[in-house]
Amino acid sequence: MDELSQPGVGVAAAREGWPRPATIAWVFAGAVAAMLLLYLALNAPGHWFTQAPQLGWSAAQLSLARGSGSVQGDEMHITAPDATGLALLSVDTGFRSADYPVVAWAAVDIPPGADVRLLWRTDYTPGKVSSVGLVVESGRVLPVLLAGNGEWIGTIRGLAFAVRFAGGETVRVRGVVAKPSGMAGTLGDRIAEWLAFEGWSGTSINSVTGGADIQDLPLPLLLAAAALLACLVLALIARRRGLSTRHAIAAGFAGSVLLGWAVLDARWVINLARQADITARLYAGKDYTHKHLDDVDGALFRFIQHAHAVMPTTPARVFVVAEAHYFRGRAAFHLYPHNVYFDPYHDALPPKGQLHAGDWVFVYRRRGIQYDATRQRLRMDGVEYPAEMKLTEPGSALFLILPP
Amino acid sequence: MSPMDVLALLAAIALPWAAGSGIVAALPASRGGAPGSAAWIAGAGWLLGAVLVTLVMRATARLGLPFGRLSIGVPLALVATCAAALVARMSNATWRGATLQARDGLASLLGRGLTGIRRIAWLALLAWLGVRFALLLSEVLWQPLYPWDAWIQWATKAKVWYSLGTIVPFEFTDQWLAGNGASYFDASPHYPATVPLWQVWTCVALGRWDDSLMNVFWWQTALALALVAYATLRQFEFGRIGALVGTWLVASLPLANVHVALAGYADLPMAAYYTVAAVAALRWVERRRRDDAALAVFFVASCALVKTPGIVWALTIVGAALVGAWPRTGLRVVGIAAAAFAVLLLATSRYSPTVLGYTIHLTFAPSWGALGDSFFMLGNWNLLWYAVIGTAVLARREALERPMQAFTTLIAAGAAFLLIVFGVTNARDWVADQTTVNRATLHLAPLAALWAVVVFRRYALRAAPQAVAEPGDAEGAPRAHA
Repeated sequence: MDELSQPGVGVAAAREGWPRPATIAWVFAGAVAAMLLLYLALNAPGHWFTQAPQLGWSAAQLSLARGSGSVQGDEMHITAPDATGLALLSVDTGFRSADYPVVAWAAVDIPPGADVRLLWRTDYTPGKVSSVGLVVESGRVLPVLLAGNGEWIGTIRGLAFAVRFAGGETVRVRGVVAKPSGMAGTLGDRIAEWLAFEGWSGTSINSVTGGADIQDLPLPLLLAAAALLACLVLALIARRRGLSTRHAIAAGFAGSVLLGWAVLDARWVINLARQADITARLYAGKDYTHKHLDDVDGALFRFIQHAHAVMPTTPARVFVVAEAHYFRGRAAFHLYPHNVYFDPYHDALPPKGQLHAGDWVFVYRRRGIQYDATRQRLRMDGVEYPAEMKLTEPGSALFLILPP
Repeated sequence: MSPMDVLALLAAIALPWAAGSGIVAALPASRGGAPGSAAWIAGAGWLLGAVLVTLVMRATARLGLPFGRLSIGVPLALVATCAAALVARMSNATWRGATLQARDGLASLLGRGLTGIRRIAWLALLAWLGVRFALLLSEVLWQPLYPWDAWIQWATKAKVWYSLGTIVPFEFTDQWLAGNGASYFDASPHYPATVPLWQVWTCVALGRWDDSLMNVFWWQTALALALVAYATLRQFEFGRIGALVGTWLVASLPLANVHVALAGYADLPMAAYYTVAAVAALRWVERRRRDDAALAVFFVASCALVKTPGIVWALTIVGAALVGAWPRTGLRVVGIAAAAFAVLLLATSRYSPTVLGYTIHLTFAPSWGALGDSFFMLGNWNLLWYAVIGTAVLARREALERPMQAFTTLIAAGAAFLLIVFGVTNARDWVADQTTVNRATLHLAPLAALWAVVVFRRYALRAAPQAVAEPGDAEGAPRAHA
C-alpha cells in the first residue's frame, strides 16, 4: 500500500538482528517470574517459607449449633436460621495461630444483606469468643486475613461460621480451611484461581471471568505487567549494547503480547474443552425433546408438552403467569407458535378486562390463583373469569376461558 | 444427528455461501488473485450470502409464498449458478483449471511454499484454530438454546415464523392487546428480523424445529470473520504466517467464542458485519473502485439489519470513509458531527430521550472501575485492550499517517462511542453489572484487534534497524496466494 508495506522491507534486518524470539521468550518468562515474586513478597501474609501444612475440615465435620440444616453430599445446607435469625456452624480445632494467618470458609449462596462472621476461641483466653466480619462477594465468602489481629493468638481451639439472615434461602458450606499462606501456598491459591473451571452460567453471555469468580491477581494484569517489564529490560539491554532501543521495544512488545495472549488462550481453550465434555455428556446423541427434558427447565417443558396436547393445533392466545421471570420467559418460548403474552420483567397477571372467551391461561408456580371447579370460575387478582381447567399438575395448570 | 440432518445443515450453509461467494468473486475487484483474495471471497461471501438469504425470505413472505426449501433455496441456487457462470466466463475458466486451482488452494492451506519452522508454525496455528472451532461446533450442535435474550426476544420470532411459514408482526403490549391475535408479542418486538430468519432458514432446511442445530450460522459467521481477518491482513501485505497470527488473535477473543458456543444473540453477527463493512470501506478508500463501493454500501447497510445499534456503527464507518477519501472535507464533516453529538449529549442532562430503544440521560458518574475490570482484569478480551493502548502509544505517528487515517478514525470513533455512552450516561449501570458493556464492546473488538496488528506492524518495520528490501521473502512477499 505504501513504502512501509513493500514485501520484505525490514524483515531481513529484524530477522538477523537482536533480540531473537528465544531471547524475548526468556526475558518475558523472567518478567513473569519477577512480577510473581514481587506480588508474593507483598501479599503472602504468613512466613514466606513455611513447613506447616494446610488444615481443612469438611462439611461432615461441622456441627450446626444454631439454625436448621443438614449435610447434603459434601455440603452443609443451612436452610433456616433460629428464632433470632442466626445460624452457627462450628468445629473443634487445635492449631497454632501464628502458623495460620488466613482462614477461608467455602461458603456460597450467601443471601444479599446477610451478616457473616468468623468466630474463634483460643487457649489463651478460653472463656472468650472473638469474631471478625467476613466479606461476601457474588454470594461467596472471601478468605479472611487474621495476621495482625490482636485476638488471633495462642492455639486456636475452635472455629465457627455465623450467618445472620432472614431465611428463605439455603446457604451452602463445604468446609473451612486454615492456611499457612506462605509464598508457595499463596502462589498455589492464585494458580488454582486462574485454572478454576468456569462453566456456562446465565452471565456467561455477558462476561468471561477467566477462572474463579473472585481473583486476587487477575492473570491478564500479571501478563500485561510482565510484558511491560520485558520491554523495559530489552530496551535497557539494547541500549547497553548500542543497539536500537526502538526495535528492542517493538520486538519485545510484539513477542510478549503474543506469548501472554497464548497463555490466556491456552487456559481458555482448556476451559472450553472441559465445558464441551460436560455439554456432550448432557446432550450428545439426544433429540430435541430429550435435550429439553434433561434441561434445567425439564419439568416445565414436560408440562408444556402435555399442554400442547390439549390445546388447539392452530395458534391461540395464551397468557402466561408465573412468579419467576425465568419461567415466564421459558414457558412462553416453549408455547410458541401459540400467540403468547407474558410480562418479561414483572410478576404480573393478565391485564384486567383483556381475557376473552377462547383465550388460555397458563399458570406455573404462581401463588394466589384460585379455581372453583364446581362453578368453573378462575379467580385472579380479585377478578373472576368463567374458565375450564384443561390440565393440572402439581404447581401448574392450564385454563380455557369460557364465554360469560 | 442423522446423516440427513448433516446433509440438510450442509445445504443450509452451502446455498447462501455459494451465492454470496459467487457474487463477491464475480466483482471485478476480486479478480487477479491478489494475496488473501480466496479468503476474502469465502469470508465476505458468507456474510453477503447470509444477508441475501434473509432478503430472499423477506421477499418470499411479501409475495405470500410459504417458507420452504424450494421457495428459499431455488432463488439462492439461481444466484449461485449465475454468479459461478459469470466468474467462469470472465476468467475463461475450465473445469480442469478450476480443479487445479482448488488443488493449489489446498496445498497452500497445508503450508506449501513454507519451509522448516515456518511450516511447522503455520500448521500448528491452523491446528490450534481447528481445535477451537471444533469445540465451538460441538457446543452449537449439542447445546439447546441457552442464553436469556435468545429465547426471550430473538428466537421467539424464529419459532413463530418457522411454524407459520411466513413473517408475522410482533408488537408491544398495547398494540398486541388491541390486535386481538393479529400480531405476536415478545420482550423486544421491534428487533431486526435478520438473525431470527437465519434460524428459520436452518430449520426449514432441516425440516423441523431444532433450537440447537438452528444456530449453526453463528459458527459459520465466526469462521467467516476469521477469513475476513486473514484476507484483510494479507491485503495490508502481511505474510502468510503474520496474517494467520493476526487471524488467531481475532478468532481467540473469549467473549466472541462464548457468543458462538452459546449462540442466539446478535452481537457476534454485529461484530462480523461491522468488521467486514469497515474493511470493505477501507478497500474502497484505498482503491476507489465502484464495485468496492457497492460492497461497502451493502455491508454498511447490513449493520443496521442485524442489530439496532448497527445504525450508529454504520455512521462511524461513513465518517471514517469520508476522512480517508477526502481528508480535509472529511475531517471537517466528522468534526461538525462530533460537535453536534456533544451538544445533543449535553441536552440529555435535561431531557431523557429514547434513542434506538435505549433511554439516554447524561449523568457524569462513570464506572471507571467496572469498565477497567471488564477491559483489563476479566477474561473477556485476553490482552486486546492492553495491546490497543500500547499500539496507540508506541505507534501514534504511524496511526495518524495518511494510509492509516481512515482506519484510526474508525477505531477512535468506535471507542469514543463506547466510552461516552457507557461513561457519561445512565448506560453506566450496564457497566457496573458487566452486562451490555461487554456485548457492545464485542462489536468493535475484532476490528480493534486488526487495527492494532496493522498499525503496530508499521511501527515495527520502521523501528527495524537498517531496513532493506529482501526480494522474494517468503514471509513478506505475496508469492503464495492463500
